[in-house]
Amino acid sequence: MDLEAFSSQLTALRDRALTALEDAVDPDALEEVASAYLGRKGELTALLSGIGALPAADRPRVGALANPIRQQLDAAVATRRERLNSIALEVRLAQERIDVTMPGRALTRGSLHPIPETYREIVRVLGRFGFVTFDSPEVETDELNFQLLNIPADHPARDLWDTIYVEPPASDAATATSLEAPTVEAPRWLLRTHTSPGQIRAMREMRPPIRLLTPGRCYRHEAVDASHGFEFFQVEGLMVDEGTTMAHLRGLLDEFAHALFGAERPTRFRPGYYPFTEPSVAFDIQCVVCDGSGCSACGRSGWMTILGAGMVHPVVMRNGGLDPERYQGFAFGMGIDRIAMLRHGIPDLRAFLADDLRFLERS
Amino acid sequence: MRVPLSWLREYVDFDLSPEALAERLTLLGMEVRGIERIGADWSSVVVGELLDVAPHPNADRLSLTRVNVGAGKPELSIVCGARNIEIGQRVPVALPGAVLPGGRRIDVTKKAGIDSEGMLCSGAELGLTTDADGILILDPATEIGQHLSDLLGEVVLDVDVKPNRGDALSIVGLAREVAAALDTQAREPMVTVDESGDATDAHVSVEVRDPLRCPRFVARYMDGITIRPSPVSVQVRLMAAGMRPISNVVDASNYVMLELGKPTHAFDAARVTDGHLIVRAAEPAERLETLDHAQRDLTPETLLIADSTGPLAIAGVMGGAASEVTGATTAVIIESAIFDPVMIRRTGQHYALRSEASLRFEKGQESRLARLGADRTAQLILEWAGGRAAKGAIDTDPADPPALRLVFRPERIVRLLGVEVAAGEMRALLNRVGIETAPATAADVVVIAIGARPIPLDAAGAHTALVAIVPGHRRDLAIEADIAEEVARIRGYETLPGRRPDTLMPTYRPDPHAATDRIRDLLSGRGLSEVVTFSLIAPGDHARLGDGRDDPATIRATNPVTVEHSELRRSLIPELSRVLVDNERQRRDDVAIFETGITHRWTDGQPVERHQLGILLAGLASPPTWDAPSRPVDVADAKGLIEWLVGRVAVGRVRYEPATVRAGVEHPGRTAVVAVEQASGTPVELGRVGELDPRYLAAVGARAERAIYAVIDLDGLARLAPTGRRITVLERLPGVDRDIAVVIDRSRPAGEVEDLIHAAGGAHLRSVSLFDRYQGPQIGEHEVSLTYRLRFEPGERPLEEKEIDTTISAITQALSDRLGARLRA
Repeated sequence: MDLEAFSSQLTALRDRALTALEDAVDPDALEEVASAYLGRKGELTALLSGIGALPAADRPRVGALANPIRQQLDAAVATRRERLNSIALEVRLAQERIDVTMPGRALTRGSLHPIPETYREIVRVLGRFGFVTFDSPEVETDELNFQLLNIPADHPARDLWDTIYVEPPASDAATATSLEAPTVEAPRWLLRTHTSPGQIRAMREMRPPIRLLTPGRCYRHEAVDASHGFEFFQVEGLMVDEGTTMAHLRGLLDEFAHALFGAERPTRFRPGYYPFTEPSVAFDIQCVVCDGSGCSACGRSGWMTILGAGMVHPVVMRNGGLDPERYQGFAFGMGIDRIAMLRHGIPDLRAFLADDLRFLERS
Repeated sequence: MRVPLSWLREYVDFDLSPEALAERLTLLGMEVRGIERIGADWSSVVVGELLDVAPHPNADRLSLTRVNVGAGKPELSIVCGARNIEIGQRVPVALPGAVLPGGRRIDVTKKAGIDSEGMLCSGAELGLTTDADGILILDPATEIGQHLSDLLGEVVLDVDVKPNRGDALSIVGLAREVAAALDTQAREPMVTVDESGDATDAHVSVEVRDPLRCPRFVARYMDGITIRPSPVSVQVRLMAAGMRPISNVVDASNYVMLELGKPTHAFDAARVTDGHLIVRAAEPAERLETLDHAQRDLTPETLLIADSTGPLAIAGVMGGAASEVTGATTAVIIESAIFDPVMIRRTGQHYALRSEASLRFEKGQESRLARLGADRTAQLILEWAGGRAAKGAIDTDPADPPALRLVFRPERIVRLLGVEVAAGEMRALLNRVGIETAPATAADVVVIAIGARPIPLDAAGAHTALVAIVPGHRRDLAIEADIAEEVARIRGYETLPGRRPDTLMPTYRPDPHAATDRIRDLLSGRGLSEVVTFSLIAPGDHARLGDGRDDPATIRATNPVTVEHSELRRSLIPELSRVLVDNERQRRDDVAIFETGITHRWTDGQPVERHQLGILLAGLASPPTWDAPSRPVDVADAKGLIEWLVGRVAVGRVRYEPATVRAGVEHPGRTAVVAVEQASGTPVELGRVGELDPRYLAAVGARAERAIYAVIDLDGLARLAPTGRRITVLERLPGVDRDIAVVIDRSRPAGEVEDLIHAAGGAHLRSVSLFDRYQGPQIGEHEVSLTYRLRFEPGERPLEEKEIDTTISAITQALSDRLGARLRA
């Protein structure tokens, strides 16, 4: 065989290979063709292994002949492969069509209860002004719930809180008869009627400046209706230092009301009465139902009271261990349930503790 | 306090609509809760004149009347059943078409065969008096034909008087507030008693044996009186103010109480032995029948009005039936006294008797009212019941106490309020509520708080300080801050500017709810619904959990609203179960809920609160989808939540141990104690997870056959939360997964296998997850194969395969030695 013959065989092989590649209609067939011509045991390899039959002088020229053809065929395989892959992919994608209007795979919704969420919202707002949560217990003594808050026993103001008392612990009886302990009167336990005992506990625990929120469950001996329950939720705010004024109280509460009920909502102070503040005020916002025109929700007054507040009474300040001549500040208390009702348009307080999932999942 | 505006107008002038007046009072601190218009529902009721009253031809008990209802109107023929009508009287006539209170419609109707063209009205039918038997007879001078609403219509304000303002529980007191609001003057009734009788002390003597509890006692004597109903206008006014008319003498006493805020009492003088009244403590075993005809066993703490033969009345709370004014009474002794407020309050509570009188006494009374009240009552009795008043009054302490001098520093008030108010303006404002002011002297002291030592004024302080001369009725004003409130409220809170706090910020405190809020977010994100349930639960709820009715750790309410809510929960389970049951009733069986709540118990005589997380799962684990069936929840769902939660908020590995179960509450084979093991130290027990016993579910009324629960101690979990989790940077070295299938005897707990893998896993073992569990023919009958994927992560240098092989060998060895386990190929 001479170089001429070898070259024509090479060309013929190339032409057959190119035809075969064109005839390969799927990736598998293509790989077969590629392997049949270009593989280790393919025709091209076989042909090249036959160069021993060529004259020795021609052998170095074989590379110059064969390499372009191999490159041409490699490129053709690659092109064809890419083309076939792309066709195959398109076919697959066409077959994979789904009804895109179908719903997703449902997850259980989950929800957060409006009471703790409302408190979190309150903290979010007042936290910007430096207020931080300070927890205070639910089972309290008469002393902390009333007496230290300037509500002595037999004070007419006690009518403002119908109290649920608690049977003393069994060990109190034991303490009373104990020889070691001096006769200390056993505390009268009750379920806190408001979060205000937190004021005393906070003032006794830390020094001014103080800015705190005491949230939590309170209890009153009340008949249950749409706006009353024997369990309800309050949050108490307390701010004490040397220069906190009633104007600060007004400014803070305005910020608060605007954050929770809209920046344009009018607010007002009117005189109120609490034994533990002096002066005392009620803080009203314009009715969220009728925007002030008067409706049944606001008793036709156009206003809704959202909290009670005032300057910490000097007696309370003293009972908290602070000098009322040097320190002054304010306290406010509101029903978390009431704020939640107003913000979410919930007409009945009883929904909160009923925990109907249909209600909760709307929250 | 119900305030008829016609009455209020007697003591103060105002030219405001009821709504505007209500607003002014509210902004002054006398909150008006409602405005009632009496007569607004009388339509077509006019004043008529009885031209003729004749017997009804067909009925003995009825009369046939002819009524003139005004010039130009046709006379009406009206049938009437009342006996008190006479020709010439002026009476209310409901014309055909009229609608009376309660929606009653009046039409022309046949009565015993004769058309009645309307109806003559009784006071009760109009809601004006309590008299339902007789027609309301109006004053003979009343204009005929005018609408009755113009004559007797009334507007009543319902004012919420705060407990510190007993003085405003009266028409005169509220007139003073109106005057303050409008910067005008209020009046008091003109009180003069025409004393035509002989000397009072000829008929009455008073002996106060307990002057501490009865500092002042005023008595008057009247005889020759005639008991009958009060004038119609008085009855109408009392009704409007919320008080039932009784008789002229009793009404006079009640009228004075409403008008001046001074309760008085009238004794039938004939029933007071020797006219001698004794104010004393009750003696043992004494009894009294009170006006409400209840027999009261008197306690020695009770202060009595008595005569020489025994108790007549419980002082300040309620009179006795025996000395009550009756139709036969011709002479009365009027008592107008001052009593210790605390004593009155305790007595009222002890006998469960809170009267309008005791409500006023317990808020404290101005001493001056003792005499004024007695005189005013006598004046009204003379007017309404005739007779004679004896000369003078018995008065055990006629001198009114001096006015309180309350020192205040205008600049201190400015500092408290945060708004500049000049001292002169303060004085003018105080003057509007009847408080005179004067400059203070160097000898004056400032009362900051009752019970605290007053602050002396220095020379400079005395120069600017002022003294408020507090009128006797303002018993609520006692300290400097009280004056600040008067200044602020009279000036009007609309004049108080709002300022954002600009004082020193407090030191940093962490948010104690942060961890709980995180957990709430995580669980709700996982599809659970948060619930908030009752903290007070039923004794039966605790009993079902095995905590009996005498368990000393349970905190119990002494006076619960209902026994169903009388014990503070020691567990979240009962209420979570209740929520399940309630939702099942709404056909909602798939329930996945959680609560972060407080449980309570006595520990060493102290109430101890624990913050807990409770989870309850029932029904399907996830909503069924179109391509996959759902499955019921099981314990592993709750465990998965716990592990995930602990992994997210804390550091450590969750372990489970079989629990000693509460019989009948927890499933005996499916309840575990949850603990978290940290790198060092013993595992921390955090709570329990498991399935509820079907008997418990049945007992609470659940339809679900299975319910999964978990209870986790939130305080304990929070303690495991790092203040800044260490996050290792792993460079770019790959991690390595190795799977091992461990074959062990089925009686061995899987938890031990995992423990051992962790113990022998070396420093690079990052996680161990069970992903296959096999029982079957390929292994022994009593064996189980557990396949774990162990993830190793490199430290500072790459992991060598050899290292991992060594570790796996160590694990295998440990499993083999300790549990007799083998690896499955």
